[in-house]
Amino acid sequence: MATTTVDERPREASAPRAKRKESRYSFEARMMTPALLVLALLSIFPFVYLILMSLSAVGLIGGISLDFVGLDNWTRLFTDSAVGASWLRSVVYFILTVGLEMGLGIAIALLVHELVWGKNIALSLILMPMFMAPVIVGLLGRFLTDSTYGLYAWVLRETGLYSGDILGTTTAAFLAVTLMDVWQWTPLIALIVLAGLASVPGQILEAAKVDGATYLQRLRHIVLPTIAGVIIVALLIRSMDAIRYFDIITNTTNGGPADATKIVPIRLYETGFRFFDLGYAAAIGLSMLAVSILLANVFLRILKRRGLAR
Amino acid sequence: MAGAGSAALWLGGCGGSSNTAKPVPGDEWKQFAGTTLNFISENTAPTSAIAAKLDPFTKLTGIEIKITQLELAAMVQKVALDFASGEGAYQIVYADPYQVMAPYNQALADLTEFQQDPNLPHAEPFDDFVSFQLDASGRFGDREKLFALPYDAPTMIWMYRKDLFEKYGEQMKQDLGFDPNPRDDSTWDDFYKTSEWLKKNADKTGVPYGHGHMAKQHDSLMNDFSNLLWAYGGQYFEDDAKVGSLGSAEPGEPQLTSDEALAGADMYRKLVSIAHPASLGWDWTGLAEGFMAGGMAMAPLWHEFASGIEVSDIKGKVGYARLPRGPKRSANMFGGTGIGVNGVAPKREQKAAWLFVLWATQKDTQLANLKSKVGGGTPTRDSVYALPEVEKARKPPSKLPNMLPMDAVFEAWKPENVGLRPKIAAWNECDTTIFTQLSKMLAGQQGPEKCMSNTKEGFEKAIENAKKSLRRA
Repeated sequence: MATTTVDERPREASAPRAKRKESRYSFEARMMTPALLVLALLSIFPFVYLILMSLSAVGLIGGISLDFVGLDNWTRLFTDSAVGASWLRSVVYFILTVGLEMGLGIAIALLVHELVWGKNIALSLILMPMFMAPVIVGLLGRFLTDSTYGLYAWVLRETGLYSGDILGTTTAAFLAVTLMDVWQWTPLIALIVLAGLASVPGQILEAAKVDGATYLQRLRHIVLPTIAGVIIVALLIRSMDAIRYFDIITNTTNGGPADATKIVPIRLYETGFRFFDLGYAAAIGLSMLAVSILLANVFLRILKRRGLAR
Repeated sequence: MAGAGSAALWLGGCGGSSNTAKPVPGDEWKQFAGTTLNFISENTAPTSAIAAKLDPFTKLTGIEIKITQLELAAMVQKVALDFASGEGAYQIVYADPYQVMAPYNQALADLTEFQQDPNLPHAEPFDDFVSFQLDASGRFGDREKLFALPYDAPTMIWMYRKDLFEKYGEQMKQDLGFDPNPRDDSTWDDFYKTSEWLKKNADKTGVPYGHGHMAKQHDSLMNDFSNLLWAYGGQYFEDDAKVGSLGSAEPGEPQLTSDEALAGADMYRKLVSIAHPASLGWDWTGLAEGFMAGGMAMAPLWHEFASGIEVSDIKGKVGYARLPRGPKRSANMFGGTGIGVNGVAPKREQKAAWLFVLWATQKDTQLANLKSKVGGGTPTRDSVYALPEVEKARKPPSKLPNMLPMDAVFEAWKPENVGLRPKIAAWNECDTTIFTQLSKMLAGQQGPEKCMSNTKEGFEKAIENAKKSLRRA
């Protein structure tokens, strides 16, 4: 008897649970359907369309038409030396901007963190550039480096440091647009790192200090390991943005001189909206997307390894 | 009132996209009253002038015009996307002959249809337009169709500080062994030597550089260089005159590796090497600002900058001449554009847009533009230049500063002196190729030979791509 009772109970209990589970699943599906449809409309459809475009020659006159050309655009992409050169420039630009932003951002955050008074005012002033639209930063940069009336150009000329045209010579132009981006986005890194610094346990730092650890030792063995996850998140955010860098270059050099600042997004824009070679532009755009995803995965893997992401 | 009444009757029957009912005779201008049209234009002087004074058109037609002014590249992009959308949101289009008309002429309305329509008002005589401009700014491929009416006419000329030439001219003449003042037979070599002298004597003159260029990696660089290319006998294509004037779908093989083209490129490099160093970062606006700020004594510039120059710190101190000669000729880049009607727009809106095109290019409007304080521009009709007040304004003191360089511009417009870049479907890509390669040459990354052979290769690829697109279309 007892055996029968024991055997039946779970059956009786599991049957309604299975029913509930089924109905809950269908409820979730119903609730998610509108969101999924919107997502499909906003992301999946354009993404699929972009893939189709990359396999086609796109005609514009009389409405958009797709003429299937197979892998022509992709073959062209991997054999186009101009696009290859743009990728190389993008890599150099990426390393310079993200590297400088991370270094300066962490340094500024550490300095601000140590401030005893005036912390809020300092932080407000430091954060200002990142609240400006990138297009305005570009226009401001162009204005300040203009040979005729630019303040920076004048200072460099008068001090004898540089007498050429800042945006007219290859190295200077590349450095100028890099520094404009660094100026705008270093504050974001500082802000994120500053938030991370708040989580560093004060008692451990105190104890280390009492034990005679120097500032650099505390930084290396306590502070940086504690905020490593935050730094990687900051790195991830800036990296995703740096790959798509566009506004400032468009408003200053537009890729010149001698293609020195023509990184991949500028070439993509030129191919798509100046030559209207939309099929090829779609292939370039998808390659950028692939690189972004790859990079994001690298950072996420690092975060996972550190146990900071699931 | 009668007009308004008939317009109301007319509109009552206008539900669809086209209408064949005849307007009341004498009331052709009012037949589309109540329509709103969009005009997209590059941010140029005539459009600014028109935007500031649209009332006469609205009174005449009852049509509301909304104007969008953009930088040329942004405008071209919007126009192309509008053509692709099939909506025809911009019924009136600033039809740049090279970047809009050549690649997208199939999407522009043929204006001859409107001109022949008995129900529509007609343009003032077409032969009143400056002779070559109807072809250069309005046609593509053949003379049967007309896609735009000439609207503006900027032309590159030689601007120089005549105050310096008056003061130091004699000394320059002694040092250089020739008269440095612009003459009929002034050459680019003379220009180079004069610039060198001015640079060497900057302490004396107070102007740091002899001359400047608009040599940024931009459309401006192609314009600036083309003057030298043609002056030295080089050509973009075998029949540059035809390809530049009427345009062609089959321009033939690029001629950019000829000895003459190389000589032109070499001379251009030489000129830029002694020019104001900011030349490498200047487009036309940058160069004009540098010139007005007293940064240099001479510059090859669009003549329409005269309206700014004559109210700047150097007003009254500038002389204007056609550009120097090379071994072959003097070549002066013409940058004129027409306005046309979007062929994708509904037929009724196209007809209403035709009224605006007519009005904006007629004699009275061009005169009003010329006098406008916000605009300026340059008339494209001979009859405007023949007006006594306009003719008088060609000599200082002038109430119409854009007329001051006109003696030089008329010289530049002579068939033997005018410079017309190729009007081909692939021009956007060809233009980018040449200004990129030239920029590399000026940056010292390659010599003239490599620059020109790379450009030729780029042209061939671009033309091939354009042919494929046309075949598909």
